[in-house]
Amino acid sequence: MHLFLLGVSHKTTPVDIREHLDFAARGLDAALAALAVRPSTSEAVVLSTCNRAELYVACDEVASARADLLGFLGEYHGLDTSAVFPHLYEQVDGAAARHLFRVAGGLDSLVVGEPQILGQVKDAYAAATEGRTVGPVLNKVFPWSFTVGKRVRTETALSEGAVSVSFAATALARKIFGDLKERTVLVIGAGEMGKLTARHLKAQGVSRMLITSRTLAHAVALAETIDASPVPWRDLLVTLNQADIVITATGALLPILTRSQVEGAMRGRRNRPLFLIDIALPRDVDPAVGDLDSVFLYNIDDLQAIVEANLTRRASEITKAEGIVADEVKKFEVWLSARCAIPTVVALRQRFEAIRRQELDRLQPKLAGLPPEAKARVDEITRLLVEKLLITPTEQLKSTPDPERVRSDADALTRLFALDAEDPAQGEPDRSSAARRADDAGKLVTP
Amino acid sequence: MNTIPLLLYLAAGILYAVHFSTRSATVGRAGTAVLASGSLAHTFVIGMQTMAAGHVPIAGTTQAISTFVWLLAVAYLCMEMTTEERALGVFIVPLLVALQLIRALNPVMERRVPILESAWFGVHVASLLFAYASFALACVIGITYVLLFKEIKAKHLGFFYKRLPSLDSLDLMNARTVTLGWVFLTVGVVVGAVWAAEAKSGPIYDPRVQAMSLADPKILGAVVCWAIYTFALYTRRLGWGGKRAAYLSALGFAIVLFNFVPIGYFLTRSHNFGG
Repeated sequence: MHLFLLGVSHKTTPVDIREHLDFAARGLDAALAALAVRPSTSEAVVLSTCNRAELYVACDEVASARADLLGFLGEYHGLDTSAVFPHLYEQVDGAAARHLFRVAGGLDSLVVGEPQILGQVKDAYAAATEGRTVGPVLNKVFPWSFTVGKRVRTETALSEGAVSVSFAATALARKIFGDLKERTVLVIGAGEMGKLTARHLKAQGVSRMLITSRTLAHAVALAETIDASPVPWRDLLVTLNQADIVITATGALLPILTRSQVEGAMRGRRNRPLFLIDIALPRDVDPAVGDLDSVFLYNIDDLQAIVEANLTRRASEITKAEGIVADEVKKFEVWLSARCAIPTVVALRQRFEAIRRQELDRLQPKLAGLPPEAKARVDEITRLLVEKLLITPTEQLKSTPDPERVRSDADALTRLFALDAEDPAQGEPDRSSAARRADDAGKLVTP
Repeated sequence: MNTIPLLLYLAAGILYAVHFSTRSATVGRAGTAVLASGSLAHTFVIGMQTMAAGHVPIAGTTQAISTFVWLLAVAYLCMEMTTEERALGVFIVPLLVALQLIRALNPVMERRVPILESAWFGVHVASLLFAYASFALACVIGITYVLLFKEIKAKHLGFFYKRLPSLDSLDLMNARTVTLGWVFLTVGVVVGAVWAAEAKSGPIYDPRVQAMSLADPKILGAVVCWAIYTFALYTRRLGWGGKRAAYLSALGFAIVLFNFVPIGYFLTRSHNFGG
């Protein structure tokens, strides 16, 4: 059994091709259902976000699964796969798991360490669980990737620090004021940047938000979209007294807040901290305002510098995160190669059991004279003997970390015990019990 | 016997420092666990001494210091549990170690003079020790407030920015600890004055009791502390919290500490019952 991945992402594929491969629009159920009926793949998960479209499947034959998935992509999206083909990447087994673990850990994201992707991976798996298209392999590797994502988040600083200007401003506001619910925010200027930062603060639970603009109509319009109260421009200084956080984002050429104005407002505030976020260019707030006690003045460059520093720090954590991924991939490979051994183990057990039965049957006339307890004892002893003989090779086979080695060992066993030869004396193996044993064997090697 | 808590406090201090610089949650939990076992051992030590002497060991300065250390450790652990904030431990625990070192170097159990066998005296010392423990917390919180304030102001978001809670919550914690400390300080000073007045007219003559007046450095120190904390609380009511309150609580505790250790050992003529 192999884990196979075929996909496109922002790293390999321009958006105009990626958008043709989006699965989210029509719903994942449809894609999963279409994948489920493909002959070569036994399990499937579809991960579709705005930055990637990836198909994870379990299959016996990689080549036929690849052909099948390409066919599926072409049919499902109604496109010529030759145009898409150069952009597709594919990975098998450990490499596929590595890719998934890197995705879940945020290492493959556009903004390294962004946390949303882990939720998206979880959603993709949940949809596949719902659609019953997952089996032993994907049921193993997906929850495993959640663990990797969590480990990366808690053991490295990969997801730490704001990496956008508006998030940086919000994080600062929280560091100054703690809970933002009781705070008053004043937005000066009804431009796009002001709106974005105001939205972020609103999402943090700010209940009182005031908006002012030289043109009152603009303030009223923006106030409506983000559930705030418009304030006439002439009341600006009065409002400044009440605000804890002020965002300035006007197109004014000269500063609209001077040192003496803010100084006056601070007297009214009895020096309670005031956080001024000046994201306008040219600047709206006289830099001298920053010298006032209890005034925290951050302009767009300051916030940009924070973002840069955070991105640099995230980059320095990548090695550590990759180490975690490599560590987990190694463990996954052990599990997967153990799974490769399962059919051989099952066949070997069936062969030994068949020989035991044959011998007991052959001895039947000689044993006939024995009392029932003794017969039961003979049965027990032969069974234990077979068990004991098999236990070491079984364990050895399952604990080999290298899948190639497992395959060659399995081949050797198959050849030495002629496991693929049809033994007429063995008869038709009991399908259901073989399947059950395969399940048990799977459970045994679960880490 | 006082060295066991000292060693545990020392170990906890190292763990808190490692936790503060690496932000490893495991080390932080280990620090809390070691500090908790240190204060448990300390509880045991104080309990044993109480049983041996028949009273809580708070009469002499050295004993009082040890009891103060124990109170501060317990108060800090309570604060850590209620706020789930471990960052301040790195400032508090070294203080525990330094003060407990005094106790460990003076292992003698001081005898209590008969004049101190009064319920008033117990209330007096216990309230003041509570007050000092609260002020110690307020001071540390105030210092971290100023450090964080300066980092945000200077736009160098680094060490403290990542490790400390918000300015607002530090300010709130400072207000609570100062208020609590002020209440106990007031009770302690008033009870002390009542007890001194009673003892002066009592049957036992003691030169130390006669020396109890505002002119005594220890008593003057306590009154100055009271004035500073009263001022801090009053201005906070007017809306002046934040940095000013932080500086005031640092100043207040500096005087508390000075009053407690050097004045308590060398300068006071009224409060040297250590024998």
